[in-house]
Amino acid sequence: MENILEINNLCKKYDNFELKNISFKLPKGMIMGFIGENGAGKTTTIKAILNIIKNYSGDIKIFGLDNNNYDSKIKEDIGVVLDDMFFPEILTPKDINNTMKSIYKNWDSKMFNNYLNDFKLNNNKQIKTFSKGMRKKLEIITAISHHPKLLILDEPTSGLDPVARAEVIDIFQKFIQNDDCSILLSSHITTDLEHIADYITFINDGEIVLSKTCDELLNRYGIVKCTDIEFKKISKKDYIKYKKNKYNYEVLVDDKKSFKNKYNVDVIDRITLDDLMVLMIKGMK
Amino acid sequence: MIGFIKKDVAMIKSNFKLLGILIVVYTIMGLYGKMDISFILPFMSVVIMISTFSYDNFNKWEEYASTLPDGRRCCVKSKYITTLLMILITSIIVIILSFIISYINTKTINYEQTFVSMLGTVFGTLLVLSFMYPVIYKFGVEKARIGIFITVFGIVIIGDLLVKYINFTNIMKILNNMNEYILILLLILSCIIFIYVSYRISLKIHLHKEL
Repeated sequence: MENILEINNLCKKYDNFELKNISFKLPKGMIMGFIGENGAGKTTTIKAILNIIKNYSGDIKIFGLDNNNYDSKIKEDIGVVLDDMFFPEILTPKDINNTMKSIYKNWDSKMFNNYLNDFKLNNNKQIKTFSKGMRKKLEIITAISHHPKLLILDEPTSGLDPVARAEVIDIFQKFIQNDDCSILLSSHITTDLEHIADYITFINDGEIVLSKTCDELLNRYGIVKCTDIEFKKISKKDYIKYKKNKYNYEVLVDDKKSFKNKYNVDVIDRITLDDLMVLMIKGMK
Repeated sequence: MIGFIKKDVAMIKSNFKLLGILIVVYTIMGLYGKMDISFILPFMSVVIMISTFSYDNFNKWEEYASTLPDGRRCCVKSKYITTLLMILITSIIVIILSFIISYINTKTINYEQTFVSMLGTVFGTLLVLSFMYPVIYKFGVEKARIGIFITVFGIVIIGDLLVKYINFTNIMKILNNMNEYILILLLILSCIIFIYVSYRISLKIHLHKEL
């Protein structure tokens, strides 16, 4: 399968934080959920992909092209929503439309205005008069109105109420109907990702912990709840992490079927991305 | 790049009222033979443009712009071009108003004096701009305010020392003997060089900046 985004051994060092050998691939036509706790390195990785930060090592290829050598060409086909980065708030959606149609070759004013109407965003009002949710919608509309092939979204649904979130997710799903398009979506709201993501990449403390298809994660991974005596019987190599609660243990396993057979366990709970994140970060080995 | 200029123009639209007021004040003061404040209009263009850096900074526009095609380069280029356009337009307005005021007051128009005085104003404004923009790109608009303050004081002190310790009589003699058109040409040329060098420095800073 052709990859739309490919990152190999991305490293970036700050005084108090480091991205360590980040590598993952996003195939064409797929949505990748990029998850991790605050400060794990999601935004730094996205900033490196987009060349907002400099002086990193490693390879980043977008549409098969090096992101440094073909920066401008690549950016014609990328749409972005970044946390707290946008047009100055004294501008109006009309100003954004005027600006963008001279920046992108494929800018679609009609599409932009249709979405403004759908979301009931006033064309002539300054951005600063919009609520956080309205502003986010405007950012998303702006990101998709030049028919990009890759959407890079950093927390695009944060600050949105459930109805608005559903509307936005609908847009992403429509966007992905074109098989040539992909989305890299970083989000804390993992329930959204469970609905739409094909792949999940989990970053923790600057390192990629796992990058797998969403189906594989949700079907193969599971949580075993057991007593102290039962837990002591489990071999370390058969689980990834565990958490000791007041009355039981929660054990994260990456192969429900073989674990069931080996330990004769009846019930292994289906995992959610939230459970996965908590156990991976807070759990012990 | 046109898109970036459109964005900057859209941002300064709200300041057009202020420029309008200044034009009225300038016209009234000129008609009543009070102080000549023609220098204020081109200078205000730079002040207004600097305010756009603050808005950009507040909403992290430069980071966002770097995700657009050729965003980093266009960001810098558009600031310089929009500022130069503003200076040009305000200078033309001042020149036209000066002609009208001069004609109403004296029934004559002193073309030469108006152009020379405007050229001096534009030169001074461009000099300030040439120093300020690279400082803003390097340190950000907030820190740059202190830098600008130090730069202006530095220029005044260095100028004062130069006047004290260097004999300018010979230089003045040479300048006085020079054809005035050559002087004007030299002034225009130095404006172009200042702006070009300033732009290149700003661009280099911004292209390699960690946003």
